[in-house]
Amino acid sequence: MRRRRAIVLPALAAAAALALAACGGSSGGSGGGSSSSAAGYNAAVTKVVSPSTHKGGTIAFGNSSTPDSTDPGNTYYAYMWNFVRYYTMPLMTYKSCPGSCGLQVVPDLATGPGVVSDNGLTWTYHIQPDVKFEDGTTVTSQDVKYAVERTFDRGLFPLGPAYFTFLLKAQKPAYPGPYKDRSKNLMGLNAIQTPNPTTIVFHLAQPFADFNYVVAIPQTSPVPPSKDTGANYQLHPISVGPYKFQSYQLNKQLTLVPNPEWKASTDPNAKQLASKITMTMNMNANDIDNRLLAGDLNVDAAGTGVQAAARAKILSTPSLKASSDDPIAGFTWFAALNTTLKPLNNVHCRIAIEYAASKTGYVDAYGGPVAGGAIATSVLPPNVVGHKSFDLYGAASDPGGNVAAAKQQLKLCGQPNGFSTVITYRSDRPKEVAAAQSMQASLARVGIKTTLHGFPTGTYDGNFAGVPKYEAQHDIGISFYGWAPDWPDGWGYMYYIVDGKAISPAGNTNLSQLNDPKVNDLLNKMASTNNDATRNSYASQIDMQVMKDAAIMPGVWAKSLLYRSPNLTNVYVESYYGMYNYAVLGTK
Amino acid sequence: MITFIIRRLIATVFLLIVVSAITFAIFFLIPRLAGQNSYQLATEYVGRNPSRAAVLQVEAKLGLDHPLWVQYGNFIKGIVVGAHYNSGTSTTYCPPPCFGYSFKSQQPVWPQMVSDLPVTLSLAIGAAVIWLVAGVAIGVISALKRGTLFDRFSMGIALAGVSLPIFFTGLIALELFSYKWPLFPNVQYVSFLTNPFLWARNLVLPWVCLAFLYAALYARLTRAGMLETMNEDYIRTARAKGLPERTVIFKHGLRAALTPIVTIFGMDLGLLLGGAIITEYTFSLHGLGLFTILAIDNQDLPEILGVTMLAAFFIVIANLVVDVLYAVVDPRVRH
Amino acid sequence: MADALLDVRDLRIHFPTDDGLVRAVDGVSFTLERGRTLGIVGESGSGKSVTSLGIMGLHQGTRAQISGHIKLDGEELVGAPAARVRELRGSKMAMIFQDPLSSLHPYYTVGAQIAEAYLVHNKVGKQVARKHAIDMLGRVGIPQPATRVDDYPHQFSGGMRQRAMIAMALSCDPELLIADEPTTALDVTVQAQILDLIWDLQREYQSAVIIITHDLGVVAELSDDILVMYAGRMAEYGSAEDIFGSPGHPYTWGLLGSMPRLDQARLDRLVPIKGTPPSLINVPSGCPFHPRCQYAAETIGRSQAEVPELRPVAPGHLVACHLTTDQRRAARPPAAQPPAARLGDG
Repeated sequence: MRRRRAIVLPALAAAAALALAACGGSSGGSGGGSSSSAAGYNAAVTKVVSPSTHKGGTIAFGNSSTPDSTDPGNTYYAYMWNFVRYYTMPLMTYKSCPGSCGLQVVPDLATGPGVVSDNGLTWTYHIQPDVKFEDGTTVTSQDVKYAVERTFDRGLFPLGPAYFTFLLKAQKPAYPGPYKDRSKNLMGLNAIQTPNPTTIVFHLAQPFADFNYVVAIPQTSPVPPSKDTGANYQLHPISVGPYKFQSYQLNKQLTLVPNPEWKASTDPNAKQLASKITMTMNMNANDIDNRLLAGDLNVDAAGTGVQAAARAKILSTPSLKASSDDPIAGFTWFAALNTTLKPLNNVHCRIAIEYAASKTGYVDAYGGPVAGGAIATSVLPPNVVGHKSFDLYGAASDPGGNVAAAKQQLKLCGQPNGFSTVITYRSDRPKEVAAAQSMQASLARVGIKTTLHGFPTGTYDGNFAGVPKYEAQHDIGISFYGWAPDWPDGWGYMYYIVDGKAISPAGNTNLSQLNDPKVNDLLNKMASTNNDATRNSYASQIDMQVMKDAAIMPGVWAKSLLYRSPNLTNVYVESYYGMYNYAVLGTK
Repeated sequence: MITFIIRRLIATVFLLIVVSAITFAIFFLIPRLAGQNSYQLATEYVGRNPSRAAVLQVEAKLGLDHPLWVQYGNFIKGIVVGAHYNSGTSTTYCPPPCFGYSFKSQQPVWPQMVSDLPVTLSLAIGAAVIWLVAGVAIGVISALKRGTLFDRFSMGIALAGVSLPIFFTGLIALELFSYKWPLFPNVQYVSFLTNPFLWARNLVLPWVCLAFLYAALYARLTRAGMLETMNEDYIRTARAKGLPERTVIFKHGLRAALTPIVTIFGMDLGLLLGGAIITEYTFSLHGLGLFTILAIDNQDLPEILGVTMLAAFFIVIANLVVDVLYAVVDPRVRH
Repeated sequence: MADALLDVRDLRIHFPTDDGLVRAVDGVSFTLERGRTLGIVGESGSGKSVTSLGIMGLHQGTRAQISGHIKLDGEELVGAPAARVRELRGSKMAMIFQDPLSSLHPYYTVGAQIAEAYLVHNKVGKQVARKHAIDMLGRVGIPQPATRVDDYPHQFSGGMRQRAMIAMALSCDPELLIADEPTTALDVTVQAQILDLIWDLQREYQSAVIIITHDLGVVAELSDDILVMYAGRMAEYGSAEDIFGSPGHPYTWGLLGSMPRLDQARLDRLVPIKGTPPSLINVPSGCPFHPRCQYAAETIGRSQAEVPELRPVAPGHLVACHLTTDQRRAARPPAAQPPAARLGDG
């Protein structure tokens, strides 16, 4: 028989790889951690790491999914509100500085905060006269008005926030958006006036003291009506920021290059250092972490922290840990307790849950103190303006739960042997699943028997937990959820989750269906009080009342373990986003 | 033969219509059985805290409030004659086959699929060539050297290959050859037209991992087929004629053993062309497989329909090609 | 007297298996001259096919242990280089098999398979080989050979297929043709045609033919000489007249007795040989046939103890049996059996 040449099998290599599999996780830092002196664990939470004015280089972002939209009028993701600062300038923005300094809202396109008049119903802003679009034309107030008008077409732009549609003075018939606008030069929204090219006046339906925060949303970044392409604008928004779109393959890769028309003097909260910025989308999340560590990527766009595998590697390797930060992410994971469902409609039954649930179990489900976050003793996270620390039910002092107190509460609500109810959660989030299971176990100790019922995130709000009728029909008493504020003050955090007016038949976010006149009243007062100090004092009062009502069982004040690529300069955590400030990054 | 092909092509069209109808039904009817209405469905495509007006506008824009048969009719119409889409500032014409516009990004689905197709094609066809050559070669050698160390060793590896899932072998491959020892750093699809060398280099790891799985299968199949074939009487006749052993093995033995392999190969390739989902996900390759996962994740009906029909099309065509090939390969089938 | 084309001497073919050593062929010797036909007869497992495969060298690559001599036209084949034996296969010696449907490759046309046999031994062009294939098909009596040359084996009837196989075997004009059960898979009427064909072709090509069969009727038609094998050994060897006229071995008597004959009265019962063929691993001691032999007792124990030698009972007629001539004559009076008539003669 003729001999055949030996075939080198890739299988052999793989077999060898199998033998090496055990060594995969423990090998120390590769490539990435080779910088001579990493600034230290959590260095970027309080100060700027590697400050530099060095220009050039590429910042490579990796994204495990896709942006909801790159159109500033149509995005709601926290990391996108951070990322769009590369090519947008809303009227106001958050100050670019580390620590609680970054919670302040400061003028961006505007020259100063809004001037309030007319008993809080009119807000006037002046904009800088010499800001230019990437095509060289000067930005006028009409471009800002047009940008806001776009947000009224909810059919074309359903994904962004809807504040302008209900805060601004209504008109009849309702303003249909600029694409159905029949008025001259598309300025049909009466609630906004532009008396001259540098002045814009907003007329509100009710006084709303937080309006400066509202105009910090990217939706007020100017859009030139002549260059608007509607649903296709996301493919190339006309930039007023330090960078502009060079190319965008939808769902695949976005490339930004410096915008020559941008002037640093008009935009102190952003920098133009790198010569290219790329975002690669739909990457495998673990792949992103590995490339971050290897140095092939600089930033994980989502900014919510590394996955479990990389986390273990980072925390166990001192050189890697010195290049990581564990900031407060700015949101709370919690379980909403259905205030309308028997027997939870009795406050004592709800307080029983507050006592019985194991807080350590909840935090561990999210990855423990470093990866998950801190035990939440109330709803408002610590980085919200006006936060005050209190602990009504011993969450911090008895983190394993207080069985005796729980049983006491059960007696008070007439269910001394416990009761049954259903727990819902988002089944495609492993941490949330684990938290639900932990809750089930801890409640069982006091006789509260629960059934677990999970739903995918995509349909959770719209079809299940977020549909009050569904919750009633299916005995859903406990719904796991999470919430990050649209802006970092009490109203921005609390309104949608505890205000009675926010309850909606589908897509509901007030999962407790709380309708407490005291809470509603405090929120109203917050909205109409202009004095900052007074207004912010309401935040903790609302928090306290919600906890007294036991409408929410707070779980975790989330933290994210972020890896700080050694190649980046000007790295620090921007408090409001709970992740690195993208607008100021550069490379070495 | 020609009539046979034409009949099959007509059947293909019907089959695709049925596939699209079923996908439509699954997407809409099953949630409806659970009590969902179109308003609730529309909330999935709206941002956080939507107002009622917003949801209604989205419902109208996406046509979700129309009866199902109207929506389905519009979908078919789009494929056949194209559709018009109002992007706000202008109305664009989407030429046939128009699979509609993504619910999420409002961008046309067909161009996205077309741009993802080369990735899947490169991945599938490259891996297919490797696994076919490697699998058949190993299978033949193992059959001829049955019982030897080579045979036992290769069948052992084949067992591993068939049993180990791709996300396992893929992750190990990446860990070793991309992150630890950067022989293949930054696995990312580069178009063949842009840079053939990089195109090939970046696909080596996915090719190998995907091919490992199938090569193992094909090695076992080929070995079994060869063992069976080499025991046939016509092999004895071939030798009795005085043919060189090499001719006996390949022209007489392998030729016969390959028939079932060809059939299976056609099926496997057809399935893969619809998207090697796990491989693409593991290696972050933007092909049809990844497209499918994302479409489902986003509940994006036009994308789901588009990719389902495209995948079904590939499978049906692959079936057809296999059936034709079978008649070419085995004369007994022709008569 | 012409030199023997084929000279087989003390051929032994053993197969080592997990259960023991299978002595498939255990001491077979015969000669065959050009133009003559040898019939090898025996039950399944007697070693007849193994012998013919051994002559063709088709045990190459198996575990067979072959000893003894096979001389083809003076050239020793046992121990010869495989390449040399391969050269001879198809060109000097050819073989046809029992089932032509499974023995022809289903994917290639009959013409291609015949041409292939021709091409491997002759350096000619494809067109020449094809023409030759058409010729051969015509010679074996297949109508419209120019059309049928492009047909596949499954498009032929059973008889036509066997003719095609014969055409393939004879395409290189071999001097030795071995036919292993050539008619067993065919209808009786077709059987006769095939046997006639082989007869005619032998006359034409003057080839030596070995026919292997368990059917004595087939052997009676064609053979000049007959070798009766049992348990891998020779039981009896002689001319057809000898074997049919005065058979000497009890096994042969059994075979003849179990065979329907036209010249027998219809109501005479057929007498099968009792018992079953022996294991080739544990061949019975002494005479391998003794467990089944009616006359074993007459040898007073020699059948069990001693292997009978092959001894001439008449010139050219050898029998391996312990019975004496008298005992033989007593058991089977020679005059009582008329000479075997050629079956099929009208």
